[in-house]
Amino acid sequence: MTWYLIRRVGQAAAVVLGVLILTFILIHNEPGSTARAILGLKATPARVALFDHLYGLDKPIYQQFVIYVKNVVHGNLGTSYQLQQPVSTLIAERLPRDAVLLGISTLLALVVGVPMGIYQALRHNMFVDDVLSGTWFTLYSAPDFMEALLLIALVCVQFHWLQPNFPGGITSVGGILADWRALILPVVVLAINTVAGFSQYARSSAIQQLAADYIRVVRAKGVPERLVVLRHLLRNSLLPVVTILGLSLPDIVGGAIIAEAIFNFPGMGLLFWQAALSHDFPILLGTTLIVGVAAVVGNLLADVAYGVLDPRIRYART
Amino acid sequence: MRKTHRLAAAAAAVSLSIVIAACGNSGGKINTGKAVHGTPINGGTVTVAEVGVSPNLIFPLDPSTNSNGYNVNLTEGMWPFLVYIGDGASSAVNPQESLYSSLTYSQNDSVITIVLKPWRWSDGVPITSRDFTFVYNLLKANYNNWLGYTPGLFPVDVKSVLTPNAHTVVLDLKRSYNPQFYTDDQLSLIPLLPQHAWDRTSQNGKVGNYDETSSGAKAVYNFLQKVGTKMSGFATNPLWQVVDGPWKLAAFNSSGYYAWVPNKNYSGPDKPRLTKVEWTPFTDDTAEMNTLRSGTSLDLAGVPANDLKQIPQLEAEGYSVFQVPTPGMAQILPNLWPTGANAAAGPLLRQLYIRQALEYLINRSQLVSKVFGGYADPGNGPVPVSYGKQWDSPLEKAGGPYPYSPAKADALLKAHGWKVVPNGISTCTSPGTGAANCGAGIPAGDQLQFQLLYGSGTAAFDQQNAAIQSSEDAGGIHITLKAEPFDTLVSTTGTCNQQSHPASACNWGLQQFGYIPYTSDPSGAGNFNTDAIGNYGGYASPQMDRLINATEYGSSSAAFFAYEDYAAQQLPWLWIPLQSGVFVYKKNLAGITPTDPFQATLNPESWYYTKPAS
Repeated sequence: MTWYLIRRVGQAAAVVLGVLILTFILIHNEPGSTARAILGLKATPARVALFDHLYGLDKPIYQQFVIYVKNVVHGNLGTSYQLQQPVSTLIAERLPRDAVLLGISTLLALVVGVPMGIYQALRHNMFVDDVLSGTWFTLYSAPDFMEALLLIALVCVQFHWLQPNFPGGITSVGGILADWRALILPVVVLAINTVAGFSQYARSSAIQQLAADYIRVVRAKGVPERLVVLRHLLRNSLLPVVTILGLSLPDIVGGAIIAEAIFNFPGMGLLFWQAALSHDFPILLGTTLIVGVAAVVGNLLADVAYGVLDPRIRYART
Repeated sequence: MRKTHRLAAAAAAVSLSIVIAACGNSGGKINTGKAVHGTPINGGTVTVAEVGVSPNLIFPLDPSTNSNGYNVNLTEGMWPFLVYIGDGASSAVNPQESLYSSLTYSQNDSVITIVLKPWRWSDGVPITSRDFTFVYNLLKANYNNWLGYTPGLFPVDVKSVLTPNAHTVVLDLKRSYNPQFYTDDQLSLIPLLPQHAWDRTSQNGKVGNYDETSSGAKAVYNFLQKVGTKMSGFATNPLWQVVDGPWKLAAFNSSGYYAWVPNKNYSGPDKPRLTKVEWTPFTDDTAEMNTLRSGTSLDLAGVPANDLKQIPQLEAEGYSVFQVPTPGMAQILPNLWPTGANAAAGPLLRQLYIRQALEYLINRSQLVSKVFGGYADPGNGPVPVSYGKQWDSPLEKAGGPYPYSPAKADALLKAHGWKVVPNGISTCTSPGTGAANCGAGIPAGDQLQFQLLYGSGTAAFDQQNAAIQSSEDAGGIHITLKAEPFDTLVSTTGTCNQQSHPASACNWGLQQFGYIPYTSDPSGAGNFNTDAIGNYGGYASPQMDRLINATEYGSSSAAFFAYEDYAAQQLPWLWIPLQSGVFVYKKNLAGITPTDPFQATLNPESWYYTKPAS
């Protein structure tokens, strides 16, 4: 297991470096002048030159990359061209907020989706299974902005039950949690799309498990159905869910652009999107790096969790 | 809420792709808001919505590499400019609110004597001429790193600064200026800064007279700019608590939220009546509109361009509506340089008669009413009609030189040897350079067709450009539309003129950015001079240069109209309507209207709540 982890961490580092190189090359090959995009239409050549010099954009790209990597190693992700703040500060402000929002919504989706999937598997091909599958697929296929706007129109505009946005003055995690009513709608909207994935993976996995010999054996032994489900079926149906959960880590870190925009929640998604529109390379690189790290960590965690949940996998790999 | 200040050029142009414009006679509604009945009361908090606004510098002199136009929104209420622009609904100088008590031009308008009012800083120290020289010294040593600097103008054009007494400053300039231009365009960029508190090179260093040497001024400027970017200290650093405006900063966070409280020692005429003003940020228009429609605590907010139809619902929620002309000009830029992909269109656009035909085929009054719901300036020429009567020539007020007329466009094209094909593509049948020919560089069979690039993401722009495409097409001029993100447009568009027109930045034919912000003196300087940085399409005319120079350096008050009419006729750019900013405010708020384009929604010292009349 130890060697396996060491090998995987090495692979992860190589993947992150590769992502960084690729992103660096791609964004530096964007058409047009970065300085003009930032400084605006009336940027004089002197101001453009000053900007390029200030941010090292007048150096060859390989030099820029080496300087960037050196800075990253020292914990410096650069300064945003547009916001004039250290990228690490901007990420540190937004990441915890997204972790709260997307973490809670993922947890909610998990809590609802997995039992629902198991329930559907137990009623496989019955009317209630079809209705629930249809419902989840409908919600899954509906765009989240549409669900968000419909919910806001109903809950906020029509009945004034909840506020439709996060107050602009609140930026800390504590502030967000204290204003928990503002979390309800975005959490629900984000969970709606995720719950379908969890429930349907859990359902199909549980259907397979239900046909397996060990389930037949425990049932034949007269074990109560409740224990069959909770002790045997649930744990063995969770493997694909663990995969999705691991892969959702970069989503949690990367933010949710649409929900953030609609619910006035300045998070990682909007930070990245606005940086992409404005040639703000340091933010693009910084957020890509963070999401890349989250992706490999998520995969790693999923693999490790496999081993914990399924001893056969653990033994096979050690 | 957006401000389009003279320093806000770049950011305002960005915001303009979302909210815009001005109102006018030709279809635009003039609405100064509904009268508020009731008794004024002191106190209360006003919450103002701000979409996409995120100031990043509190030091009022922005470096040239920071074009965040919203910084001035944050700072102007604390460190107002020497000359205050905005008087009621007019974009005029307001001597009562300004920091000077008199401004006198002498010696052929090359010497300005400024007498400062006997006002005080918030810490009780008098405002003196030393505060002016402090700003001057900082800028003199650092003008290349000041966003407000225009090559050749303040502070480089100053020969000497004398301070005969504590409240008088004498500026001896290197040349004569048109007083109207210099006051409106230069002195309105200069705030006074507290020398007694800020003349230092470190946070805990002693205050001195460092600004009096060039190296010292550079050190002070660098220190203030550096500490001015530390958002965590915006509301807490004692430096920023020394103000001369009506407000002090009470809170700020990096998402763009900030709160003003009254400067209790403010010396000016409009003492704040409110206890607090909160500027609350929104990620985008949708979030802001949802909040407005949900009956929450927003007291003042802009109505997004795409949501004007929701105004009746907002009125039902308890809001009044008003519009503010946008200080700028909307336009379609023609690229006159036959470079790269513009090799065919460039020679066409160089012909005045073709630009005239294009303009005749833009149905501006229809765009104002149908696309902008009446909330727009008609775009009769280079100055918005609603900008202020001192700026609007009789020609512009009368609808401009090229009102919508397909017949005149048709006649112009035929008179120059074109076979006009309505709803098709017209072709040149008479090449040559004579009066009845198509013009230089236009071969026989050449087609009248152009590509119009414009900023994506705003439904109103999509509708406007589709309407322009349709009406041009009906007149035989074919236009293809291509929408790109605003920043992509900006980053790939260069100023294409005789000196520089690389194909990489000059491939475009027609382009629409949204609008170009104006200074408080809306002359064409910087846009239509032959070598101006904003003259993107490379228009060149010695006559235009002379007329613009007269508005800056001449003494005739008629110079402005002469320039304005010539520019309107010559079409260095094609004029199109400019959308107004539309706002709503709670009905128990007063003092918000009338407002001018420059102080729009940014002068809460005039606002107050009212008690309903019993």
